[in-house]
Amino acid sequence: MRLPSGVVTVLAVVLNSGVGLAASPPSRQAPSAPPPLPPGVSATLWRLSVPKGLEPTPERVALGEKLFREKRLSVDNTVACMTCHEPELGFTDGKPLSEGVKQQKVTRNSPTVLNALFNATQFWDGRAGTLEDQAKLPILNPREMGMPDADTVMKKVRGIPEYVTDFQAVFGREPTFDDLAVAIAAFERMQFSGDARFDRFIMGDSKALTASEKNGWALFNGKARCNSCHAGNAVSPLFSDQKFHNIGVAAHKQDFVTLARKGVQVVRTGDEKQIDELALNSEFSELGRFLVTQQENDVGSFKTPTLRNVGITGPYMHDGSLATLWDVMDHYNKGGVANPYLDGGMQRLGLTEPEIDDLVAFLFTLTDTKFDKLNKEQLTKQRARKNTRPERDTAIAMGKKGNLGDLAPNPDLSVKNPADLGIYGDVTPVTATKQR
Amino acid sequence: MNLRMKLLVVPCAALSFAGGVALATSPEAKPEPLPRHVLPASKDGNLVLGLCDGETSMEVPGVKDGQRLTRAQAITATAQLMDDWRKKNPDANWDDVPGPVLAQATPPAAKKSPPPAPQPNPGAKSSGNDVRQGGVGAQTGASAVPQQQKANLQTGHTYGAYSERDEQVWADSVQAAVKEGHRVFHDAEALGGTVGVSCDMCHPDGANTHPETYPKYQVQLGRVALLRDMINWCIENPVRGKPLADGDPKMRAMEAYIYAQRKGVKLEYGKH
Repeated sequence: MRLPSGVVTVLAVVLNSGVGLAASPPSRQAPSAPPPLPPGVSATLWRLSVPKGLEPTPERVALGEKLFREKRLSVDNTVACMTCHEPELGFTDGKPLSEGVKQQKVTRNSPTVLNALFNATQFWDGRAGTLEDQAKLPILNPREMGMPDADTVMKKVRGIPEYVTDFQAVFGREPTFDDLAVAIAAFERMQFSGDARFDRFIMGDSKALTASEKNGWALFNGKARCNSCHAGNAVSPLFSDQKFHNIGVAAHKQDFVTLARKGVQVVRTGDEKQIDELALNSEFSELGRFLVTQQENDVGSFKTPTLRNVGITGPYMHDGSLATLWDVMDHYNKGGVANPYLDGGMQRLGLTEPEIDDLVAFLFTLTDTKFDKLNKEQLTKQRARKNTRPERDTAIAMGKKGNLGDLAPNPDLSVKNPADLGIYGDVTPVTATKQR
Repeated sequence: MNLRMKLLVVPCAALSFAGGVALATSPEAKPEPLPRHVLPASKDGNLVLGLCDGETSMEVPGVKDGQRLTRAQAITATAQLMDDWRKKNPDANWDDVPGPVLAQATPPAAKKSPPPAPQPNPGAKSSGNDVRQGGVGAQTGASAVPQQQKANLQTGHTYGAYSERDEQVWADSVQAAVKEGHRVFHDAEALGGTVGVSCDMCHPDGANTHPETYPKYQVQLGRVALLRDMINWCIENPVRGKPLADGDPKMRAMEAYIYAQRKGVKLEYGKH
């Protein structure tokens, strides 16, 4: 009976080949090691998310950053990636809905690039499988950067001498659309972010969080049920299950049910062409994941976003419809907005006002310390709006009205406090430096 | 909160408080203290080691009580203790395993691993290039996405659907717990031990811990025990440390490690 092979071999394999449980026999070619990862960034996720051969190299990252900031990639030289993903603002734009060329509004809120490399899929509806695929689409999207097609983009790039030189130096060939995407993705793969106050707390510094923030963490894993989709642990510290849920945000819009019915009917007839036409119609973008999978249970569902840096990446939800984290808590507190496709995990929570305050306080501890100043500003700004809360409905949230399933009982934290349990795992992620 | 609600909340709060007091003051069944293994004192003030059976003990000549054994000394001493016990209990159901020194000298057998996860193929022409005029979101080639090999499609309902990536994250999370347990199991300091004895000295690679037989009546404890009770007993006795709380991360990690060592063994609760 000798299983430590399980432990020891796996470890050996993890450490030597950078491949874990699903390891192939160590390849002859040593893969390049991940860069030193700060606490709160998982070596496992790095291994799972960074495809072989696409590890960021300094040259690719530098070119990628240049392209990320390049407005000439848009049809009228006004929009770059960073227009909606401003590095100073935590790689978002702070607007409810982003704006592309000619001040056109798109129908989605700009998600952060921070830790996007760890996402299983890209975009709110997960329609791109990799960062490379993702990087191309906004350039070609008529409402974002507005380029008609890849050839036009590359003609323009080849007309800029410095890029011809750069691409030659980095890829050893003429600029191509694929290489452009590889470079941008390499830059994005360096945008991992951990090192939040929360990480200090979970690695044993219990003074890193205040009593209210700790209570927020306990609620997060308990009464508020956040961890059913946003669970975080040492191996997967993203606070996201990377799945798609209908939480009833789209149902704010009056016609959602009619819209959904139309969409589902079209899919049932199996007419591919008509589905594509639906997808062109911007109001249908509220159907979310459904337009990608064409499965009825995906109607109105969107990807669970990471909660890392959530304090500085508002406004919230796929359509930016919620201005503050207090609004977000209110939305969940009443069990979302009822609609035929609401996720089964949504139910009213019965959170009291002090509990909501604690939860929001906790969420602000998930921001990378390099954004401390911005984080404080945002917290002040959001707190100032505490009295304008359109989503608030205490009667429903507390179970005085409506029937949205059972209220969870109030846990007695003196008996069992999830914050003490090491839910997050008492093992810290193996950092690259420790591996050596 | 309006006035009517306040009026309603106050009596409720008072009532629930009263209930809470009533509950708190009702007599609670207190668990009796566990039996203790009292070690005989040594005439020369030598260190005395106790075995987990609650009976066997031995003096370690040349080491004074309160001193800590080196790892080599501890391995020798525990091996002798185990030998005494084996002589006393020749018919005991015991798996013969090489001692810790031997066990650690031989490299573990290589495990066959499952095939590697499919890797994205970066050079492949993505099908998301054909953009048509129009709105936003799914219009950028969404219909072609399901055909992308690497699109992580979630089919079926949300909770039953999981991807290969999910499984790898789960496996690594479990492995991390097992690894931490392995560390604690082999480390007298981490166990809070005071004499330099660690679990692996009597249980190389977790041998003879038989986690699959719990819950069972544990004679030393005089009651039905769970695995964690027995871990604590061993921490108190041969290891000479303080028992760990149920929720202690070290306890949880050790349980993870001990169970991991018995993968595939039939569950037989209550077996001796």
